Amino acid sequence: MNPRFIFYDVYANLKQWFRNRSSVFWSLLFPILLILLFGSIFSGSNDITYTIAIQDLDDSTYSHLLIDILENISIIDIKNVDKNENITSYMLDNDLPAAIVIPNGFGEDLNDIILNPISTTNLSFYYDPARGDTVDVIKTVLQSTLYEINMQLTGGRKIIGLNEKIAAGENLSYIDFFLPGMIGFTIMTSSIYGSIERNTKYRKNGILRKLLTTPVNKTEWLLAKMLFMLFLSFLSTIIILIVGWIVFNLHVHLDIFTVILVISTSFLFSGIGMIISRFVKEEETADMAGGAITFPMMFLAGTFFPLEIMPEFLQMFAKILPLYYVNEGFRNAMIYMDIDKTLYFTGFVVLFAIIFFIIGAILINWREE
Amino acid sequence: MSELIKKTIRCPNCKHVFTITGLPGEIKKVVCPNCYTIGKIVFEKSKDIAISVSHLTKIYGDLIAVDDISFEVKRGEVFAFLGPNGAGKTTTVEMIESIRKPTKGLIKIFGKDISKSFSEIKERIGVLPQEFKSFERLTVRETLEYFSSLFNKHIEISKSLKEMNLEGEKDKLYKDLSGGLKQRVGVAIALVNDPDIIFLDEPTTGLDPKARREVWDVISNLKRQGKTIFLTTHYMEEAEYLADHVAIIHKGKIIAEGTVDELIQRYGKGNTLHINGNPKVYEFLKEKGFNVEISRNNGVTMHILRYSDILEVLSLLKDNNIEYDSIDIRCPNLEEVFLTLTGAKLLEGTI
Ligand SMILES: Nc1ncnc2c1ncn2[C@@H]1O[C@H](COP(=O)(O)OP(=O)(O)OP(=O)(O)O)[C@@H](O)[C@H]1O
Ligand SMILES: [Mg+2]
Repeated sequence: MNPRFIFYDVYANLKQWFRNRSSVFWSLLFPILLILLFGSIFSGSNDITYTIAIQDLDDSTYSHLLIDILENISIIDIKNVDKNENITSYMLDNDLPAAIVIPNGFGEDLNDIILNPISTTNLSFYYDPARGDTVDVIKTVLQSTLYEINMQLTGGRKIIGLNEKIAAGENLSYIDFFLPGMIGFTIMTSSIYGSIERNTKYRKNGILRKLLTTPVNKTEWLLAKMLFMLFLSFLSTIIILIVGWIVFNLHVHLDIFTVILVISTSFLFSGIGMIISRFVKEEETADMAGGAITFPMMFLAGTFFPLEIMPEFLQMFAKILPLYYVNEGFRNAMIYMDIDKTLYFTGFVVLFAIIFFIIGAILINWREE
Repeated sequence: MSELIKKTIRCPNCKHVFTITGLPGEIKKVVCPNCYTIGKIVFEKSKDIAISVSHLTKIYGDLIAVDDISFEVKRGEVFAFLGPNGAGKTTTVEMIESIRKPTKGLIKIFGKDISKSFSEIKERIGVLPQEFKSFERLTVRETLEYFSSLFNKHIEISKSLKEMNLEGEKDKLYKDLSGGLKQRVGVAIALVNDPDIIFLDEPTTGLDPKARREVWDVISNLKRQGKTIFLTTHYMEEAEYLADHVAIIHKGKIIAEGTVDELIQRYGKGNTLHINGNPKVYEFLKEKGFNVEISRNNGVTMHILRYSDILEVLSLLKDNNIEYDSIDIRCPNLEEVFLTLTGAKLLEGTI
């Protein structure tokens, strides 16, 4: 092992990558553009009003009054929910971040309290924790409104409070679906094309032949390249997550599976790149072969659209595509937090990574015939 | 350890070919069995031999790219492997560099069989592959640092930049350099580990004359430092200018070998006189019984056996008031040697 070489190789790759505007574009800017584009097309309106549901179980003068007051808050839209509905299902079905339930007896309680101000009555506040920031805004608005009502009624003593209840569920938006797919897709393209470039262009330019005459061996070379690729993959992942968080307020769950997935996806597609360039020696042709593999995967492996909307036979086909397992792995690990499925898909990705990378590393040969 | 060395020699007098054997370091008196000319033969000590190649063969399908060639490269010499496109130069040099596997044959570098101990040899050789292009987006200095990180032993980058006259370019990206500079960086890369043997595969192909000169200067400089240089080229001037020893390869075979002077003496046809600009000169000289040939541009070519011939011809022309544009006297060169040996031109077109 020659650590000096490995260090220098990673460093030199970083420099070259950074100096190449098109590589920076494809591995960072392009995914961001896609996220912004697809995210805003499919995420619906982005007005600054927040819609919440209100279920009035009391149906009294006081409850009507309260609803009137809330309806007058400009940034809050109220959806009245029928008494018989299940409020959490209604929230999930209508993709609402929060709901208020005015309990039965609210008016009577309030009457008593105003006369005898020692206790409080509570509204139930249901919210979706996955939409933390939205919920925070709504909660702040509600609390300041209630504070004012309290002031008016009793001169400051708190008589109406909020009783918080979590209403979590698989309340997922398009961006939840799309962003993990974008991570897989970005790592796939930069790994495949990076690997193809190293093994075709460097061969043509005599760099691989030159390396054969130096003490460096293929293992050290591959190790250095993979360290660089991992750096790039993590960088893309982090930037995509930051964009998702800033623009779409997406909160993902990050754990060891995400890390394992990023690493094995990089190895998996670097391996595929090596296999391609073993058989297609010309750089341009190899790039096309890379495109022929990544492009269909991008559409068929459930990166942009859920598999469920595709015909049955395409769904079957998706299951032989490595990117499908990558996408599902990321989604289950980061969004759905389904540990069984995460294990299942991550397992496949790790297995594919080992197989393809080993085959690639064996097939790729610096020697000339 | 001292094995018997077998040498094939050609008698300089009668051109008879015969073999003798001797011990490394031995100086032997030999007598040509044909014409009894006496001469001295030096059997180099094996440590004086940098590279020895015997019966090297490479076969691609039906094509014998390298056909049973044997030669030796002495330490400290510039060995030029001269041949036209497709002669088998790269195939040979890449077999010596262990990049390609020989079909047959033995290659030793510093006395060691490379098929067994190439990894030890790597630190001691520097290679510039044919049409080498380095990383586009590294600067010259970064490029040299990168390649030096591959070796245990390496020279100081600042010294290398100075020696290769690359200081002004050290912060330019490789992709922005001219072809000549790129080649000079390529040579500098081959030198980062301070190698004893340097392999340069067509280092000046595609360069303009000025850039070619600059690369030649670098090579001459290396030779002065005592480096052994294995140079492949299809430019005969390059071999003439740089080489101590030339092997001419054609269709996978070495067809002649020796110093430039030896080759010219052996295969050249002597000096020629060229008189240009008047077709009548040819008729006139032929009538006078000279052995002349027509050459390009209404020119006449005559082989010069004695220098007095030149005076005789010129005064005859003057006395008979036969005018011409210009005259020149040409010495034979490797181009002519190649033509004599193969009946073909080394390089089509001019250089
Ligand atoms: N990998 C290969 N497979 C098949 N044939 C090959 C291969 N490499 C070289 N050849 C053939 O072997 C012959 C010698 O090629 P080589 O590259 O050694 O020539 P060269 O003297 O270096 O020529 P040039 O001046 O063009 O570089 C050519 O006919 C070439 O086509
Ligand atoms: Mg060649």
